[in-house]
Amino acid sequence: MSSSLALLAEIRQSSERRPFEVLKLAEPLLNKGSITQAGDDVWVVYEQIFLSAIDEGQIELAKAILVILQKRFSGSQRVKRLYGLINEAAGHPDESEMLYNEIIDKDETNVLACKRVIAMLKAQGKYAQAIKELVSYLDIYANDYEGWLELVHLYMGQHMYAQAAFCIEEVILLQPANHYYHLCYAEINYTMGRLDVALKEYLRVVELSTDNVRGFYGVKLTADRIRELAKSKPKKDQLYFSLDNVPQQATLERLSQLATERLVGAYSGASTACKAANEEWLK
Amino acid sequence: MPEYVVSSQAYAKAILHCAKYPWAAVQGLFLGEKKEGKFRLTDAVPLSHNWTQLTPMFDVALQQVQLYAKSNNLLVLGYYVANEDPESVQLSASSALFAKTILSINSDAAAFVIDAKNFKTSQAGQPALVAFSYVDSQWKEQTGAFSGSASKGSGKNPATFSLENNQALTTARILVEERAEVGIYDFDEHLENVSLDWLQNNALNERIRTA
Repeated sequence: MSSSLALLAEIRQSSERRPFEVLKLAEPLLNKGSITQAGDDVWVVYEQIFLSAIDEGQIELAKAILVILQKRFSGSQRVKRLYGLINEAAGHPDESEMLYNEIIDKDETNVLACKRVIAMLKAQGKYAQAIKELVSYLDIYANDYEGWLELVHLYMGQHMYAQAAFCIEEVILLQPANHYYHLCYAEINYTMGRLDVALKEYLRVVELSTDNVRGFYGVKLTADRIRELAKSKPKKDQLYFSLDNVPQQATLERLSQLATERLVGAYSGASTACKAANEEWLK
Repeated sequence: MPEYVVSSQAYAKAILHCAKYPWAAVQGLFLGEKKEGKFRLTDAVPLSHNWTQLTPMFDVALQQVQLYAKSNNLLVLGYYVANEDPESVQLSASSALFAKTILSINSDAAAFVIDAKNFKTSQAGQPALVAFSYVDSQWKEQTGAFSGSASKGSGKNPATFSLENNQALTTARILVEERAEVGIYDFDEHLENVSLDWLQNNALNERIRTA
């Protein structure tokens, strides 16, 4: 298998959004016809190129690929969804909506079509409706952590942090060992002023990963902030968390020191400017 | 009457930051100096492209930018954001708050929203930026900014915004066309790989100079 095909497979696997690269890799494959080296995988490669083409606004290329896929898989709901996507990209939302609804009428469990409908609402700026639809979707498919993540994103966009926190909690329940979700939870809580939860979650982040710079920044930021607040003895209703719920001053100090040590270690490989700024910040 | 002049480098970097993550909101800061009574925005420091409403890493980044600015005799003069929805050219609640934080550091700071969808088709001489000044306790859009006259919307003391030169627009266009955005690194990326220089992006600066 050619190296281009191998790379394309890697990108498919990681589901990263790298449309420009995909198209660059695909160009010779399409022009020279060497795409057939993919064997049975050639159809998912075509699909991948199609998706990158519409992402890059190359509608004509996308159309050409769609014709190839339609020829091979006429009557396929999977290809029908791609027609929906190209209509969205070309600015024909009514066409897309009709196609997605047809797919759903035929099979109401077609989650990809359901999600497209929600995505279209989002693209049209109808955030309240998108949220409503996604909540209904998650009532049925409560294990769809990607759905919950999208809802986190929608709620954050509306600055509804409490709701976003609830959603990321659902994701953590489904994927408790993934530090990325604890990180998101920590940062949402910090934004809400819930420093007690933020500290705990940042600690969980550094526990679940190695040399997590963002995690250590978070530990130090939160520990120092809590210490500051505790010292200034604020009134209970001025805080969004309870001071009973946080470690003692001594522990906070040690946590802050630990974070500092780890950050200094991590920054030994950084550029001069960044290293200087970090050193200054740590003081 | 505050006058803001945006340099090629500042404009190009903000645009490239937006171009690198076209499906996401991005935000960053403008640094510069006060020279001959004008505020020259000479550089842009890209901050984030993920969870842009959340505060902790914004706080850390801002503190480090201030330290960097101080040791390089620069001022934090502006905040920029590109919204996830290309149709929206307003400051969201979190953006307005972040911009206000910058204001508390430097009362001469301005805020900008990148108008990505008009990047290619904008009128001659118009950058893809919507400018905001803090007037009457809120961020007010400065309509007519960059048009060569004093903008409307800042009450008794209208601000003017201009580009350092027309080359700024050409440079930005050239760089976007050649996909130079792969070479810009923001604080989010730096946190995953500390060897990435988000404060300066020197290699990119060189490319901008020679474009």
